[in-house]
Amino acid sequence: MSCGNPTTEGQDALLPRRLRHDKSRTCVKCKETIGKIVVRHAVYCKDCFFPLMTFKFRRSLEPFVNAKPDGPRRTALKPTGDLLIGYSGGLGSSVLLDLVHRCYVLPEYDRSTAEGGRDHPRKDRVWRKVNVCYVEVCDAFPGMKDNTESIRCAVEQYDGVELISLRVQDAFDPNWWNTTDRSIDLTHFGVNLTSEELLLSSIPAPASPTDALRIYLSSLPTDTARSTALQTLTRLLLYHTAVRRECSHLLLGTSLTSLAVSLISSIAQGGGFHVKEEIQEEWTPNLDIANTTQNEDAKPSRNQRSVRVIRPLRDIGMKECAVWAWWKGVKVVGRESWEWPGSKLGIGRMTKDFIVGLEKDYPSTVSTIVRTCGKLAPKGDVAAQCLLCARPIQQGVQAWKARISIRSLNASDTKVTAPLLESLRPHLCYTCHTTLTSRSPRTSQDSPTAVPLPMWTIAQSRLWNQSTKAVDADDETELFVERRVNQDEMREVVKEFLLDD
Amino acid sequence: MAPRLCALCDNARAILKRPKTGQQICKECFFYVFETEVHNTITQAGLFHPGDRIAIGASGGKDSTVLAHVMKTLNDRYDCGLELFLLSIDEGITGYRDDSLETVKRNQQQYDMPLKILSYDELYGWTMDRIVSQIGKKNNCTFCGVFRRQALDRGASMLHVDHIVTGHNADDIAETVLMNIMRGDIARLGRCTLICTQGEDTIKRSKPFKYAYEKEIVMYAYFKKLDYFSTECIYSPDAYRGHARVFLKDLEAARPSAIIDIIHSGEAFEVKNEVKATQKAQQTCKRCGYMSSNELCKACTLLEGLERGMANAGITDRARKKLDAEGPAPENLRTIPMFHLPSSSSTGPSTPISLEAPA
Amino acid sequence: MSLSLKIEFGGGLELLFSNQRSHKVTIPSRMPSGQGSENERPVDLKYLIFWLKDNLLKERVELFIENETVRPGILVLVNDTDWELEGEGEYQLQDGDEIVFISTLHGG
Repeated sequence: MSCGNPTTEGQDALLPRRLRHDKSRTCVKCKETIGKIVVRHAVYCKDCFFPLMTFKFRRSLEPFVNAKPDGPRRTALKPTGDLLIGYSGGLGSSVLLDLVHRCYVLPEYDRSTAEGGRDHPRKDRVWRKVNVCYVEVCDAFPGMKDNTESIRCAVEQYDGVELISLRVQDAFDPNWWNTTDRSIDLTHFGVNLTSEELLLSSIPAPASPTDALRIYLSSLPTDTARSTALQTLTRLLLYHTAVRRECSHLLLGTSLTSLAVSLISSIAQGGGFHVKEEIQEEWTPNLDIANTTQNEDAKPSRNQRSVRVIRPLRDIGMKECAVWAWWKGVKVVGRESWEWPGSKLGIGRMTKDFIVGLEKDYPSTVSTIVRTCGKLAPKGDVAAQCLLCARPIQQGVQAWKARISIRSLNASDTKVTAPLLESLRPHLCYTCHTTLTSRSPRTSQDSPTAVPLPMWTIAQSRLWNQSTKAVDADDETELFVERRVNQDEMREVVKEFLLDD
Repeated sequence: MAPRLCALCDNARAILKRPKTGQQICKECFFYVFETEVHNTITQAGLFHPGDRIAIGASGGKDSTVLAHVMKTLNDRYDCGLELFLLSIDEGITGYRDDSLETVKRNQQQYDMPLKILSYDELYGWTMDRIVSQIGKKNNCTFCGVFRRQALDRGASMLHVDHIVTGHNADDIAETVLMNIMRGDIARLGRCTLICTQGEDTIKRSKPFKYAYEKEIVMYAYFKKLDYFSTECIYSPDAYRGHARVFLKDLEAARPSAIIDIIHSGEAFEVKNEVKATQKAQQTCKRCGYMSSNELCKACTLLEGLERGMANAGITDRARKKLDAEGPAPENLRTIPMFHLPSSSSTGPSTPISLEAPA
Repeated sequence: MSLSLKIEFGGGLELLFSNQRSHKVTIPSRMPSGQGSENERPVDLKYLIFWLKDNLLKERVELFIENETVRPGILVLVNDTDWELEGEGEYQLQDGDEIVFISTLHGG
């Protein structure tokens, strides 16, 4: 109802306000007990809330466990590999670990012998092995506490899972990248951030992976770029670990709220082409990295394996996670905010504040965002996989960018003419290119020219030197600006030959 | 400190920083890139052809004033052979349109373009003032938006134009993308980044300023000394749009490319096929002939509600049912005149079409 | 007259309160309603929130309070029940109540 005066009502006047339930306090499910918790507009008692959570969790996960997602008939769960849980110590991933343990690890132990169940018949387990992977990011921030030990204690509470502890600078560590079956002599490539071209050159090896990480992050033009880049490094470390450990599934603790945040944040950074992947993806490492050894016959099988990345908490809001954690006594180590000294809020943080603020008063907005994005598909063809973030690159991206803004009066500069082998530009998706090049008023004037890159990017760059067929020849034509030549332009060309009518 | 040279021509002194790219450039180069980017937007999409009659949706505000100026400039510079018209809609909000209409009349003189002003009153029999006095300030934006959309098409039809252009800028489009996601309007989301939309029975409608930053439009008007009338609608804005707008401004402050990045995102996705199949097919309104997803188009539904004293019939299902329960619409109900697309062969000067008076 | 309450902080909020999860507090049982002491009202949750800010909160008010209430993303339980079911800020406190404040903002 409107009183007619917009100024007194404020901006919220027309958003559908959620109903206050001064109505029944009885649980909507069992209709007997007094409710203890409100989830969106429904009231639940504890005894109904717990199974609701596990139901939603399993519903988001189990249809995707088998290689071919389940049809209408439910078949037994038989994943092709092991399980990896991405664990940050935050609320979502702590709840995720707890749920996985309760649903898939604990039951086997309960049925087991007193010694702990290692003799449990393998054929009855859903997951042969459950791994938990933690990536420590403290070295990216001056003065941030190293949480590895607290994480180890928290994960230790769960029998039957193995903790893999990484550090985010491993992304720049040749020793991490090289495993026993592939040792490569890696020439280090660095990228020049001065121009949109992103030219590559060899650089001397950084003093340490930590140094490389810090140079990389501090070279990026905006705070938004730093946060996004750090997130990408963490995610790719998890992906590669999953592949190495022969895991067919990687689970991430993204709640409904966090998912809405990451979708909007991604869209705000130009990531519309991979909205689908942001929710769920099937990832295969890009190139046959094993073949970078001299031996052409090196076995490729390990790197052809794909990982299904699933977010089983995507129907579960942050509030429900918090209540679960509280009532079940789940230890949440917590994550510090990613803030660099002197930084302003980046797009990621801003989006989170915006969405969390919306969720408080309009809880359906968060689920609407996720539901709407779930109805979207990428438009256009995939050119390749981004070398930085491993997401699909839309064809024609660079041509589009060049067309939208005129950055030079010299017409030939609107065409991207740099030889492909020397430029990172055509091998990045829109988001990553924007991350590396888009400036803000706060960007410092001097641009770094020899910025180190993650191992997966370098390893694939090396392949260009070895084999030109790794580069899709079609990419070249995509970089030219296409435009229809209209009558007037044609006339311009031939006008001296036209006779007056 | 030595004066900074323009990053583009490297010749004149830089006097402004482009909001879109951050480049520091001189005034002339700014005019050039701004105009040329719009020109490229138009030619890339193949929007116009020589001889096309184009109606510029003119509100007297900055977007449409600058649009009229730029369209005329480009038409002359590139000899495009377009016939340009100004089309203005008077919603009947006292004190709101009066001054901006004066600006449009001035534009008509300055750019030497024919002008048509069409009012809600002559088209629907209701001014926004009267509508709001009946329904209050809730949902008035629904009425205004629906009525304006039809009004532009009808005015363009009267002028026998092939194409309508509106001054929607990059900020508007980015905001609409966010808003449609927040609202779950998947149908609009799939269309809102298209530069040119055309239904089966509507006139082509394009947004040449699709990639032009609002700040740059203001900057252009400022340096070119174009006058315009800045008005904020006095009735409460759509709250979702308000939220999205504030958020967008924050994003832009964090990283100016965010506006273009959002538009790019909008262009990079589309509605999944299985979802498209469930959307309603377009039909024509049986009362006025305009495009509609139902038997009656939105405008006719809203108008019927107003005429029969139950304005919310167009807004809520419950009100609609109540209205239907009272019986069918009376015979002498005021209706919107039948809509016809201009026939494609018409190239003659527009003949005034009088509106049918209500029976 | 005063009330004895048990307060717990979770989800990282404890860091703002001397890094202590559990607190036992005593607060007055009535609060001024702004119209003189004859019109005191029973204390409510909103009062408690501000009392905590004034007496226990050691740093960064904005991480606890926003717009006259707890910051969005902070969940409040009153005797193990969602405060939304108890009237939120208007819930009238009783002696022995247990109030829990959990931040949900610690990422996933």
